[in-house]
Amino acid sequence: MLMGPTTHRDVRPRPRLAGAIGGFFARLGWRQVPVMFAAVVLVALVLVALTIPLWTPYDPIGLAGRRLQPPSAAHWLGTDALGRDVLVRTLFGARYSLPIAAVVLVVAVGIGVTLGALAGFLGGIVDNVLMRLADITLAFPPVLLAMAIAASLGPGLVNTALALIIVWWPIYARLMRAQVLNVKKLDHVDAAIVGGVTPARLLTHHIMPLCWSPIFVNMTMDVGQVILLAAGLSFIGLGAQPPTPEWGQMIAEGASNFYCWWIALGPGMAIFLVSLSSNFLGDGLRDVADPRTRQGG
Amino acid sequence: MARRSRLAPSRSFATSLATSFAASLLASVFFLPLDVRSAPAADGPLVVARAMDVNSLDPARAYCDTCQIYLSAVYATLLTLAPDNQTIIPMLTKSWEVSPDVTTFTFHLDPAATFSDGSPVTAQDVKWSLERLKNIKGGPAYLMDSLKSIEAKDPATVVITTQTPNSEFLGILAAPYTGIINAKLASANGANANADAATSDASDTWFLAHSAGAGPFVLESYTADDSLRLARNDTYWGKKAGVPGVVLKQTADAVTQAQMLQSGTADIAMQIDPDTAKTVSAPDATFTSVPSFNFVYAAISPAAKGAPVPLTSDVRQAIALALDYKGAIDFTVGGEGKEQSSAIPNGYPGTKDLPAPVTNVEKAKELLAKAGHPDGFAMELEFPAMNVYGVDLSLLAQKVQQDLGKVGIKLSLKPVPFTVWISDINDPGTPFALGFFAPDYFGSAQYVQYFGMLPDMPWANRAGVGKEPGLDGKEQLALYHKALAATDVPAQEAAYRDLALKMIDDKIILPLVSPNLILAYRNDVSGVRYSACCNLPLGEIEKK
Amino acid sequence: MLKVVVRRLLVMPFLLLGIVTATFLLAQFTKGNPLVSIIGARNLDNAEVVAAAKARWGLDRSVPERYAIYVWNLAHGDLGTSFRTKQPVLKDLAQRLPATLELVICAMIVGAAGGIALAIVSAEFKNSLADHVARLVALMGSCLPVFWLGLIALFLFSVQTRLLPGPGRLDIRAVAPPVTTGFMLVDTLLAGNVAGFIDAARHLVLPSLVLGWSVMGIVARMVRASMLDVLGQDYITMARAKGAGRLRVLVHHALANALIPALTILGFTFAYLITGSVLVETIFSWPGIGSYAVEAARSLDYPAITGVTIIGGLGFLVANLLTDVAYAAADPRMREAT
Repeated sequence: MLMGPTTHRDVRPRPRLAGAIGGFFARLGWRQVPVMFAAVVLVALVLVALTIPLWTPYDPIGLAGRRLQPPSAAHWLGTDALGRDVLVRTLFGARYSLPIAAVVLVVAVGIGVTLGALAGFLGGIVDNVLMRLADITLAFPPVLLAMAIAASLGPGLVNTALALIIVWWPIYARLMRAQVLNVKKLDHVDAAIVGGVTPARLLTHHIMPLCWSPIFVNMTMDVGQVILLAAGLSFIGLGAQPPTPEWGQMIAEGASNFYCWWIALGPGMAIFLVSLSSNFLGDGLRDVADPRTRQGG
Repeated sequence: MARRSRLAPSRSFATSLATSFAASLLASVFFLPLDVRSAPAADGPLVVARAMDVNSLDPARAYCDTCQIYLSAVYATLLTLAPDNQTIIPMLTKSWEVSPDVTTFTFHLDPAATFSDGSPVTAQDVKWSLERLKNIKGGPAYLMDSLKSIEAKDPATVVITTQTPNSEFLGILAAPYTGIINAKLASANGANANADAATSDASDTWFLAHSAGAGPFVLESYTADDSLRLARNDTYWGKKAGVPGVVLKQTADAVTQAQMLQSGTADIAMQIDPDTAKTVSAPDATFTSVPSFNFVYAAISPAAKGAPVPLTSDVRQAIALALDYKGAIDFTVGGEGKEQSSAIPNGYPGTKDLPAPVTNVEKAKELLAKAGHPDGFAMELEFPAMNVYGVDLSLLAQKVQQDLGKVGIKLSLKPVPFTVWISDINDPGTPFALGFFAPDYFGSAQYVQYFGMLPDMPWANRAGVGKEPGLDGKEQLALYHKALAATDVPAQEAAYRDLALKMIDDKIILPLVSPNLILAYRNDVSGVRYSACCNLPLGEIEKK
Repeated sequence: MLKVVVRRLLVMPFLLLGIVTATFLLAQFTKGNPLVSIIGARNLDNAEVVAAAKARWGLDRSVPERYAIYVWNLAHGDLGTSFRTKQPVLKDLAQRLPATLELVICAMIVGAAGGIALAIVSAEFKNSLADHVARLVALMGSCLPVFWLGLIALFLFSVQTRLLPGPGRLDIRAVAPPVTTGFMLVDTLLAGNVAGFIDAARHLVLPSLVLGWSVMGIVARMVRASMLDVLGQDYITMARAKGAGRLRVLVHHALANALIPALTILGFTFAYLITGSVLVETIFSWPGIGSYAVEAARSLDYPAITGVTIIGGLGFLVANLLTDVAYAAADPRMREAT
């Protein structure tokens, strides 16, 4: 939305209360707080996901104690209908949700970026065909497309990932195409053409390197979205299946034991934290990538 | 790049107006006193919260638990089942005779019986309805498999003959699917009973909005996934219904059903699981736990592709001995259930004093060693990812996984949608699976047909009758014929008992849990009971 | 502008055909047996019953044949008959669409009003604590799983405190107004049923708040960014210098201009709301398209699945088109550009 550098300087007096509380953080740098929070959460979760089998006190799919027990010293987030420890299952859940998000985004971006770059660079019929394909995919509301795919291929984590890749690639294809079209107009590209580089080299060495930053920003923000949609599919029974400690699946289990609120609390908070962190990190990255927004938004 | 203010103030005024309107609307909705709704007391309809599985409202096509409730409320049957869930009593029929060879059944209709439009129920209607049930080839058509002919002797007398002796035919005629339809009315709306009715009858849609029965209620309206509304049949020829109307309200899960009962939004809920029933606090509601005829089982199919080791009799015995039946009941329904010995549910003919399933881990290990698998083996357990009768099948599967782990059998769980499960068990077959079953009528034959090791029966085919050692199918077939030809109740009981013992020995179907049914209703409701034929007889319910 | 609209409308049937084709292709990979929902599980062993059902529902034909028949019927406005409800899919959809639209529109109002309000706070107190809190509140809605949020909302407001009614569109015992528009709020008013209107509105509160909150983040982020952009412009400084009231400047100048770019996210929000409505409808037993889609997917009801994707795709395309039109209408430069 921003068309040029803003010249706005904040000259208004800050509200006193907020100013007082925010004093400390202001020195630390308000901007850094969310990013740091996000980094801490994500790094911690990745570490947990990698190491938890080494130090887990309970088996995530085995009996850990009496069933349906509220939070206690032995089970910080209580136990579920099978007597499994909710906290342990939540932490194990990171081993499913994070890789899914990673795989989906890497593959979707791989496909999207390749096709988008080709469409933008070659133009003409290639552009038309690829972009109409993207249009058709985009015209499906994501959840309906994912549901149709999950219903057809059968529920399960792999098919969920496949469905989400199909949902996500066109977004990146469009983004990349737009970037390539923009960069193509730049002077140094003309210079390179005059210099006689091959088209392939022109695309990979002169154009694409300048296109990546919005892709990365989007990817970061989408981590949360992928996890949310995957969890949603699990929730309606079309994603991960029990006893997989996938977060959406766990919330579904919690929903059927509604009065034992603690069962859904762990996975719910986990999804929330990851999603929030990915947004924070995305915002932070965008600021770095696009200095124009550093002041504005 | 500078922007000028292009917008007239009116636009922003409209925006703020809309915002404040929305805000005040929300606020008013939030803070309005609760009793604004006129609380309809005794004269309001009875609300039953239910996860509905309606596939049709046509008696010849409908085939589901909710259909049983609906059909028995709207369509009268020739006979019905007494509240003791064992005795057949008259309904449209005043009296009947059965020939000594159990193939000819003569019914004398009650002259008082009329359809909801006032026309009398005639022998012709009976003939038409039952022939149609057979010819539509819909879900419940198998009930008429043994039908040979129906003769309307005079307007009040029907003679039905069956191809083979069928001592269960009276029980079948109490099933709501055999409800008698107003032939004239239905025919006028696209229904027919011809031999080609399966394709030529196009009344499916008409039945979704109309009823043509002689029951205590009539269909008012049906909206799929929302509600099924019934109104009292004020011209009913028997004892009129105690409530002016009934709403079966689609309520997907047990928790919501409990909440609705708690708040008084619903009067009755029948699918609240024991865990929820224990945790919910609802002083205005009664929760009774009654034994049900539903059950959940594990099935071993030696003939299925993909069996890791030959699933011989010893291996099957070992699996059966390794299972902790009592623990499964505690685990899945918090102890609110019964063990079931054979695939014929407790309380059905032939199940008296059957030996209870035994858990013996040591013996199981011995048998496995004897079969050549001292360290066990790995196998897959496929099951529909569903919650049935309050039993979460994935919970149960995990319990089975834990149990079999103790004897070295490492199960990997394969939860699938029901639609996948049902096609997998036939092709390519599942060596080990979980399934569930609820009765269609009162009688043990349906269980023998489905679960027995008789040639060309569903589970017998999956298990490999005629191919697998020890499963020849001949013995059980003879017993089955004996049961159907029995002329008195003791002989029938004895034959079914022998069958049940054989089926227990086969160890193909291992019943795990027969969950209790939680009948939950508001304290001002009376007459709620669970029926083996009709699920919930709505005509008997009263509300203060 | 008109040219663009016409071109878009002309492309639409082809996009829909693409959707239909894709859904049909997907169905070819399907495991599982759709006959279960037609005749019930027990009868799958009964060859005669299976054959009768296949013939009646056209499942005995080859895929290309079925595809050709479907497209031909579609061209005549017939979306087939649902395996599960046994009703024409078009009728099913027509019955459920108003319920979903009512929910989505209310949610959009909630999302837009909340998002804009939060954005005003954010922009006014930029980079202060208030800004961060406002952004966090807006963001939370889109980060919390709506299905969990829905459960919590039901628990707090309906079960514990009984402030608001539980699932559904209307009190079950209440007599539903005659269906004229299918919008409960409108129908009750048309029937002169004030108590019914209030009841319907009360039922709408929780689902639309939950759903609306999930889009607040996007709206707030967008509006905040463009408001900050506008606030930096000279004329705002001018207005301020002239002594215009603070709120006046914010609302009249900054917000009004910031709303135009916010329009662009309408189409985007729509996709979000559809996603959310599928889950929210499941939790609130809302008889709309979303819960219909879930049931259809579960029972492999192909005609219904295809019908829902067509309606969803159509909705998405129309929302995009409307967004562009609205944007172009609001911004003269766009009108010239296109």
